[in-house]
Amino acid sequence: MLKICDICKSFNGIEVLNNVSLDIEESSILGLAGSSGSGKSTLLRCIQGLEIPDHGTINYDRKIGFMFQDFNLFPHMTVLQNLVYAPSLRATADEKKRYIDKARDMLKDLGIAGKESTYPGTLSGGQKQRVALARSLMIDPEVLLCDEPTSGLDVATIEDVVGLLRKVNGLGVTIVVASHDLEFLAQICGRIVLLRQGKILLDIDPRDNPIAIENLKNSYT
Amino acid sequence: MNRITADFLYIGSGIVLTLELLVGSVLIGLVGGVLFAVARRCNTVCKALINGIVSVVRGTPVILQLSIIYFTIPQVFGCKLGIIPTGVIAFGINSSAYVAEILRAGIENLPKGQFEVSRALGIPRFHMWKDIILPQVLMNILPALINETVTLLKETALIATVGGMDIMRRSQVIAAEQYEYFIPLCIAAFIYYALVLLIEFIGRKVEGLKRYAENL
Repeated sequence: MLKICDICKSFNGIEVLNNVSLDIEESSILGLAGSSGSGKSTLLRCIQGLEIPDHGTINYDRKIGFMFQDFNLFPHMTVLQNLVYAPSLRATADEKKRYIDKARDMLKDLGIAGKESTYPGTLSGGQKQRVALARSLMIDPEVLLCDEPTSGLDVATIEDVVGLLRKVNGLGVTIVVASHDLEFLAQICGRIVLLRQGKILLDIDPRDNPIAIENLKNSYT
Repeated sequence: MNRITADFLYIGSGIVLTLELLVGSVLIGLVGGVLFAVARRCNTVCKALINGIVSVVRGTPVILQLSIIYFTIPQVFGCKLGIIPTGVIAFGINSSAYVAEILRAGIENLPKGQFEVSRALGIPRFHMWKDIILPQVLMNILPALINETVTLLKETALIATVGGMDIMRRSQVIAAEQYEYFIPLCIAAFIYYALVLLIEFIGRKVEGLKRYAENL
């Protein structure tokens, strides 16, 4: 279990997270909802270790994958290089070959086979998203953090993302998704936590409580 | 052989020294600039130290730096540096300060996400700089680096002040011998300009290669 206890984080005196505590079950999908500036991304960044909380602890020492909102693919590397670069750094020649095979399989699974030697600049938003997902899965993470995975994508591509994340979750990977898109979160999450001004406002199961989603939408404003 | 051809060959043979100085100082400038730019981001002590060095080097004339290296090293250490080592060190250090500044701008302009994703993927710092950050930054700042190389080529003419027989010095020798300035100086100008065009041509080729690769 991923245990988050009393996390506080402020930037230049502005409090972004205020005593946030969460227990995240293994192999679950947790949605972090909230408007811009509510602290969703900061919470994900704290879990990943990109930000150090001012106070509180995060109890987790296993591999975490992170899918960034703007993908952050390496523009000077091909799709295949993007995937295998990090895992291959400390690998033997045999392992490197296995990583290449694994990357090819993963691209095939994600429906972008044949793009191995393409540079990210020529991919569409949906394709970049898949490459970013594949790259974060290359290290076999036990937890996958996704920051706004649907921003800037069209409806059909969002459906694809839902399918992909479900598939990843089916492999036993715990997923934490931050998104302002409540309908998207309601589709995939077993639990939605609403943040407002750095505090947890609501913590619900969307399947048990469909009306609550409507209420959540209202609580945005 | 007429006089102009003879003058041209004499002045043109200075290209060897000019190019030796240029290649040496571009290499020192690039390596030094990269080290300065990366070390600057390590900790505050490094940052303050390198800011100081860059400020002093950029704040004093190259001809003064050249003279300091050429005249003070024999006085202080008792050994004399040759023309080429003197020039390469002086122009190289000077260039490294400018390259460090160009790189700083390039690094600051790179999306922060490239650093973050490197950390998230567990890429060690050395590899992050070598394979992720610097290749992108160097490609982005290539036009500025070409500009710096052109500036450096023209600065090498200062080697004449410590007795280096480069293109500039040779044209002055001819002028002094023949009491005729126009032709030898025009020959020197022509050679420098041709070299600058060559550097610009190579720069454009490298930039084109990058664009070609990214649009395959």
